[in-house]
Amino acid sequence: MSTAETTQVVTTRVVTTESGRMGRVAYARIAPNEDLVQGVEKMCLAEGFRNAFVRGGLGSLVDASLGCRDGSYQQISGPAVEVVSIAGEVRSGADGVPVASLAGIVADTDGNVYGGPFLAGWNPVCMTFEVTLEEWIPEDEELA
Amino acid sequence: MSRTLQSGYHRPRMLRHVGRFSPVRIQSMHYQSGRHIRLLLQPGRSLYDALVEPLREIGVTSASTTILGGYFEHLEYCVAPPDPSGNAVIAYSKPIDAGASFMVFGNATLGKDMEGRPLVHCHASVRVEDGSVKGGHIVPQASIIGATPLSVLVTALEGFELRQAFDDETNIPLLKPFKES
Repeated sequence: MSTAETTQVVTTRVVTTESGRMGRVAYARIAPNEDLVQGVEKMCLAEGFRNAFVRGGLGSLVDASLGCRDGSYQQISGPAVEVVSIAGEVRSGADGVPVASLAGIVADTDGNVYGGPFLAGWNPVCMTFEVTLEEWIPEDEELA
Repeated sequence: MSRTLQSGYHRPRMLRHVGRFSPVRIQSMHYQSGRHIRLLLQPGRSLYDALVEPLREIGVTSASTTILGGYFEHLEYCVAPPDPSGNAVIAYSKPIDAGASFMVFGNATLGKDMEGRPLVHCHASVRVEDGSVKGGHIVPQASIIGATPLSVLVTALEGFELRQAFDDETNIPLLKPFKES
């Protein structure tokens, strides 16, 4: 094989599992007109959580904006749009900034339901939002 | 009502509330660890009783819960349209009778009301008796567990408690975290 034909093989380690443990538990009430996604991120900043899972959440939004695959988004008009199911996590990168990924089901003022990912900055809380987060402490970070 | 919009800048809408703006926008409290409990909601009991009583027996009065899927013999829910009285920006509707229903997924918060009694705040998605899927605020006292127990994952909150307190800004009572009294 000539030098020109040499293929350099670069090995990339894809992390598919992460061992760790649950840490602290926090509950917050997010006030009206605050964004749901950024509110959860700010809650992590306030509590010093780098990573967390949503353990529960319910409340209302003025209007809901749910992302679509093609980059458009679905807007559900309120007020109020009730969040009736929610799941998600928060992860912090090397810069320590928490980023929440939240998805769920919402109901409009007729009780009709819609689902998808909540777009950061576009889901203002209507009356209140209650959220419980459980801190996730990866083994690697604990050993570092 | 919903509409699909192309990506781009669309300013999110805020609302002006009835009361005085509070400078504290996120009220949070934490404890060093969570206590987890698997609870089975018993057939024939109201969602309220089936949640509150077994947890009270083991000393849990503040909790965040995930209700896994299951049948209700009868279920009632409310939606949240604008409040025509102007007392607040929205108000719960009269209860809507969903009949015999299947709760697809729910979240319920357990705390105390302004008189110190247990309070359950539950939102859920539900397949109602006519087969359509709806969502809203579940009326826990009027919703009766069906023939098979429902599993609930309870995250008990310790080191602080959830109490209903009047919120000046929204002009309604709301659950908030407080140091244990």
